[in-house]
Amino acid sequence: MNWRDVQSKQHKVAKILTNALKNGRLVHAYLFIGDRGTGKKEVAYQFARSYFCPHSDGIEPCGQCSECKRILSGNHPDLMVLKPDGRTIKKEQVANLIKEFTYRGVESDKKFFIIEQADLLTPQAANSLLKFIEEPQSQTVAVLLAENRYQLLETIISRCQLIQFTPLSQSDVESHLTNQGISKNIARLASALTQDVQEAKALCEEEWFANAIASVIHFMEDIYIRSNHAIITLYEEFSLQFNDTVKLQTGLDLIIIWMRDLLNLHLDKLDEIVYIDQMEKLKQQLLNVSIDSVVLGLSLVLEAKRRLDFNSHPLGVMEQLALRLQEGAGSYV
Amino acid sequence: MEDFIHSESVDSDLQLKVTISREKLVENVNHVIKAVSSRTTIPILTGIKFVASKEGIELTGSDSDVSIQSFIPLEENGIENATVDIPGQIVLQARFFSDIVKKLPGDQVDLEVDSRLMTRITSGSSEFNLNGQDAEEYPHLPSIREENSFNIRTDVLKHVIKQTVFAVSTSETRPVLTGVNWNIQNGKLSCVSTDSHRLAMRTISIETEDNLEKSNVIIPGKSLSDLAKILDDSGSDWVQIIITDNQILFKSNHLQFYSRLLEGNYPNTQGLIPQESKTEVILSTKSFLQAIDRASLLAREERNNVVKLKTLNDNTIEILSQSTEIGRVFENVSTKSIEGEEIRISFSAKYMMDALSKIDATEIKINFTGAMRPFLIRPVDEQDILMLILPVRTN
Repeated sequence: MNWRDVQSKQHKVAKILTNALKNGRLVHAYLFIGDRGTGKKEVAYQFARSYFCPHSDGIEPCGQCSECKRILSGNHPDLMVLKPDGRTIKKEQVANLIKEFTYRGVESDKKFFIIEQADLLTPQAANSLLKFIEEPQSQTVAVLLAENRYQLLETIISRCQLIQFTPLSQSDVESHLTNQGISKNIARLASALTQDVQEAKALCEEEWFANAIASVIHFMEDIYIRSNHAIITLYEEFSLQFNDTVKLQTGLDLIIIWMRDLLNLHLDKLDEIVYIDQMEKLKQQLLNVSIDSVVLGLSLVLEAKRRLDFNSHPLGVMEQLALRLQEGAGSYV
Repeated sequence: MEDFIHSESVDSDLQLKVTISREKLVENVNHVIKAVSSRTTIPILTGIKFVASKEGIELTGSDSDVSIQSFIPLEENGIENATVDIPGQIVLQARFFSDIVKKLPGDQVDLEVDSRLMTRITSGSSEFNLNGQDAEEYPHLPSIREENSFNIRTDVLKHVIKQTVFAVSTSETRPVLTGVNWNIQNGKLSCVSTDSHRLAMRTISIETEDNLEKSNVIIPGKSLSDLAKILDDSGSDWVQIIITDNQILFKSNHLQFYSRLLEGNYPNTQGLIPQESKTEVILSTKSFLQAIDRASLLAREERNNVVKLKTLNDNTIEILSQSTEIGRVFENVSTKSIEGEEIRISFSAKYMMDALSKIDATEIKINFTGAMRPFLIRPVDEQDILMLILPVRTN
């Protein structure tokens, strides 16, 4: 990775940070805000390398020296990385970090701190951090990474320079996947599900994903065309395919995409359709389902997703969803 | 399986090859492993760095706060410790390496590292193959310029540490106070520690070349306690001390102890020490310490462990302490002299005992400047050690 790569993906971020490096005007705390997969962590490490590398031209690190290498291997003694331990970053972890703040550097008088998923700092942990990101003693740079700025304390945000990462577009992710030899229809679905290139790629490479798509298509057909099959399919196929909450959430996302495709077909927006290889089935279902019932269906799926988040029983949620969708589709009338 | 392992090690791509006396190796691994912590966030620091050169073998262990380096010369007093066939370096998992060398059967240990950092340790009929790590990844210790160094006798240094480290703060609210502040000026080293309730200061003369001056060198108290333990093993009479920007190095014989320094400015403690005195008491250290110790038997039941001191007319002081639940204790301690105003003062028995037990002189001088002002404890005719305690407000 170099700054040119960063620039191609996150133009504004690269510009702000390289300018700061060029002019030697680093602030003592940065807050990187952006969705998963937008490259916050890579940019933070790149930034750390530019900060420490003695051979850099002021901006681009050489990537060859022991500083650069040790930053990437996690062995640089003056770079401290804090990650959540379990679901949160706890006060004791921050205490360790603060201890590092109070010591002089191991090799130089420069220090660099990266706090991953800073939105998972407990309030106590965040509060104990405040004083130290406000008044660093020597040349210290702290970089906080977070997906959701609203979960951070206002007092933390106000002490940092905010760097906003733009989300990757769906077509960027899709073309990235097809370039790696993944078939177009699967790549399109995966990129509709997540903006994280790594996560999308992992999905595509999983056998489960292809089967899951087939199950969703089958299920939707049963809902809208062969309505008396829907509950049977739910028990015999769908519930076996999506046998835990995480998978079921993905399944519901796939259903949402299917419904969105129906809407797009209604509105003649053919180039936005995701299930491109299923045009015939979509068109067939279009005859049975009105725009209103698709919109209603979407709200029902979102409701089901919410219930899953609150730990409702997955099969119960799905049964209810299937029945309601059929009512909405008007297939009983 | 065995054949497979043996066929793997081809002599040609060896990066390091040494033979070393097992006893020496065990001894030195034991020194450096004291600095290795299992709770480190930096993966490479779980290892010991092993460097073989034409001069000898150098081992390093570190938890990034303190680092210990130990050197094994190839030959010492006519006894051969090691032979280096191919110089090189490697980082080996500290815990396993230390356990392995302790239990190896032979008197000699052969160590070979191939280009994939696979390390073969053989001794007698036993053979271990350990995955090594790249020594380039290991933290670089500061390079040493000898010109800024000075020497202290080992026993004096240990004494200085003992007399100051006890008073450092254990609370992280003011991090600089968790360290001992060293200043060097006019050939004198002064060491100060305080937790803002008491203060200890010790000054010693040192021999420096070309008027070395250093100020605000704050050494973490924990590092100094670790150092004091290590010094016992070094077997050398003198310690050479070198202060760099971020670290301080204590060098003793073949052992080197590095500690990171604390960031920030140490508060000016000179202003805290009262210059005038309204009451001066001179008395025997031992009898005073014992009296306080007895009084604290009851005092320590109370929250602050407070004892009261009152001057009486006939060159005696009264020590008293009471606990509402348990009872009270009085004791008269005769002094050599009491000069100045009468005084009634309360203070922490623990702080007083800590301070008294660090003073070697048989007689001490206590200077009070009022019941609410800090007071000084010093040996009668020495100026190089000073203890200061803040009194406790009581009804």
